[in-house]
Amino acid sequence: MTLLKQLFKVYCHEFRIVIRDPGIIIFFLFLPLAYPVIYSLIYNPELVREVAVVVVDNDRSDISRQLVRNFDATQEAWVKGYAADLPEARRAMNNHDCYAILEIPAGFGKRIKNNEQGEAVLYCEMSLLLRYRSLLVASTNVAQAMGAEILSEKIDLVAPLAETIVDGDLMPIKNITMGNIEGGFDSFIMPGVLILILHQCIILASGMAGGAKRERPSLIGYDSFNEQPSVLMTMFGQMLCYITILMVPIIYLVHYVPLMFSFPMAGNLFEILMFLLPMVFACVGLGWCFQGIVWERESVFVLWVVTSVIFLFLSGLTWPRYAMPGFWKAISDCIPATWGMEGFIKMNTNGATLAQVSKCYINLWILAGSYMVGAYCVQRWVVRPSVIKGFNAYDKVKSRSI
Amino acid sequence: MKAIFIRSVLQLVRRPIYWVAFFILPLFCFMLLTSLMQEGLPSQVPAAMIDKDGSSLSRKVTQNLGGMQMVDLVESCNSYTEARHLMQKGDIFGFFLIPENFERDLLSGRKPVITFYTNMTYFVPASILFKTFKTTALYTKAGVAMTVLESVGASPLEVTPLLLPINIQARGLYNPQLNYAIYLCNSFIPGVLELMIFLVTCFSLGQEIKYGTSVRLLELANGSIVKALFAKLLPQTIIWIVIALFMEAWLFGVNGYPVYGSWFWLTLSEIMFVLACQGWAIFFFGVLPNLRLSLSVSALLGILAFSVAAFSFPVESMYSAISIFSWILPVRYNFLIYIDQALNGIPVYYSRIWFVAYIIFMILPFTLLWRIKREMAKPVYAP
Repeated sequence: MTLLKQLFKVYCHEFRIVIRDPGIIIFFLFLPLAYPVIYSLIYNPELVREVAVVVVDNDRSDISRQLVRNFDATQEAWVKGYAADLPEARRAMNNHDCYAILEIPAGFGKRIKNNEQGEAVLYCEMSLLLRYRSLLVASTNVAQAMGAEILSEKIDLVAPLAETIVDGDLMPIKNITMGNIEGGFDSFIMPGVLILILHQCIILASGMAGGAKRERPSLIGYDSFNEQPSVLMTMFGQMLCYITILMVPIIYLVHYVPLMFSFPMAGNLFEILMFLLPMVFACVGLGWCFQGIVWERESVFVLWVVTSVIFLFLSGLTWPRYAMPGFWKAISDCIPATWGMEGFIKMNTNGATLAQVSKCYINLWILAGSYMVGAYCVQRWVVRPSVIKGFNAYDKVKSRSI
Repeated sequence: MKAIFIRSVLQLVRRPIYWVAFFILPLFCFMLLTSLMQEGLPSQVPAAMIDKDGSSLSRKVTQNLGGMQMVDLVESCNSYTEARHLMQKGDIFGFFLIPENFERDLLSGRKPVITFYTNMTYFVPASILFKTFKTTALYTKAGVAMTVLESVGASPLEVTPLLLPINIQARGLYNPQLNYAIYLCNSFIPGVLELMIFLVTCFSLGQEIKYGTSVRLLELANGSIVKALFAKLLPQTIIWIVIALFMEAWLFGVNGYPVYGSWFWLTLSEIMFVLACQGWAIFFFGVLPNLRLSLSVSALLGILAFSVAAFSFPVESMYSAISIFSWILPVRYNFLIYIDQALNGIPVYYSRIWFVAYIIFMILPFTLLWRIKREMAKPVYAP
């Protein structure tokens, strides 16, 4: 057979296998189409608003009431009610009715009127850092805003001339958030997760295809009776087949999902697709290496699904790479998802160009090359021989299960 | 029963996949998560300073900022564009901008603006930077205001309360350093365990049907599905309980994450958690008695659990239609009991409902045993 003919034969053959196997179709189509939507919906409210707080006001002055009103008026906090004393508030917190207690001590208002500092304490329950973060923002903003008001009222009494100088804000402080400009949780985590989903669906699908091949090769037309194309052409044909099928899911993942959920989209779609190409190669390569240890179709679930958690943490999305211990950093360097996620996030959210993420891009090509070489070895010396010899994992496993 | 038990142990021992699923993958995740976040907080966030003023005051601000523990001023840029490019490349997570003629404008009351930029694309480092930048800016402002006020005759003692008349101290109970490891490992590691229990339970049951060996299993149990499943899954239960107890020892003993409550309830929770996960897995195996479909559901639930069980984003902030799913996951109850019994150390009375939820998960499979029996008696493998 000429090479081109071989290639075409493999391509058509693989296409038939994928389309006829509902398991692989689920990984190639259902996983990338449905998963991101479910996932994004979970986090779609983006911000943690209206965290329930119980107030213990031992002061009951106009200032303390004003403080509570202002606190309640913030987007982040919700004053659920008053408690008579700390034990009562504590009971509410134990009962999971509130996540923080604002305690205002007696004499709070008086101290402020006497030009002293009034101190209130906000006890926060620490099960979730996002709740704490919201409450921290609310309490800081309220304290500063009220402080500024009191300052402008009082300044005359202390230093009659100062008003002219401290009129308004002496030195305005501006904070600008970049990339994920609203600081939403969905927009932070999802762009990375999208790439991770793509990464995992390729490896799971090619792992399952390998399992099907080794389990009962003859069922899907791989056996010693049919003439087999060369290993290289088989790989090449499969790769082309996978890329054809993945075209729609990839564009959907990197363009339409962010569009639907209004995630930041600062990147250039064409450049992003160019960037993801080596990641797809690397994933297919890794999937072929993975086939070396997959004996039956369903083992991919048991062996591979949990790596999503591992890869998510190693990618540096939640725990930044600069703070990782060297050993884990080295492992994360070898995972295509690490670079794919990092590069995609920079391009999509921060509007980096392909040139600016060249480090990730080069690393992806290196990984793609290495995994392809590894994949060739696995296919040539592990998967192919077992297929040719008529090795049948099904019978072997069955004999061990009785 | 004994025969099934031995047969089941042999199945587990003979196939390497079980070794990987029981020991290698969970233990790898335990080590990874705890050692990755050993430091507690990713301090020394790379950041940049753009000092366009170059005066003594602006240099002092730079020095103050550089002295902060959480920030590492890796670059000093000349322009906003330069800093933005560095941020896009990922070399820095934010920058602090002091405008031209800052000191002169400040002292003559022309209100110069200090601006800081944080890259919220990376939540954790950006939040740390935000806090540090804001503190530095406020200190600078306070220092300047103090100078101004003192120059017009206010005494230093009067000035401090004037600048910050109200102070709300936010105190994080039981995790005051905001240790990230305590917060994440205690929820994600049981999540990994739950995922593996789901997968292995469905895998081992599905294998019986796939290879048609379930007929033999039922024969050995004299046709009793309860006996068959009990004896078959018992070896797994024992291994999982050992691993769950190891997990508890690893988190709270070796890594020293806080336990302010009772070890008894915590241990009971881990044991019941294993049984609840197995019960839940048998239940949805009963709904979909097919190897691949039940494994797909295991994977779907197991992975979505990390988000929908609200380990990071609170349930009450989710859409209500989504948030109900957090209550159908055993790991959610494990998390809530951990919060109550270990982190907050409150009386077990407040966690009673979570324990009841475990029991419901354990009872659930009994409703569908008839279906599993039917499939096992006439096994058909559908790929």
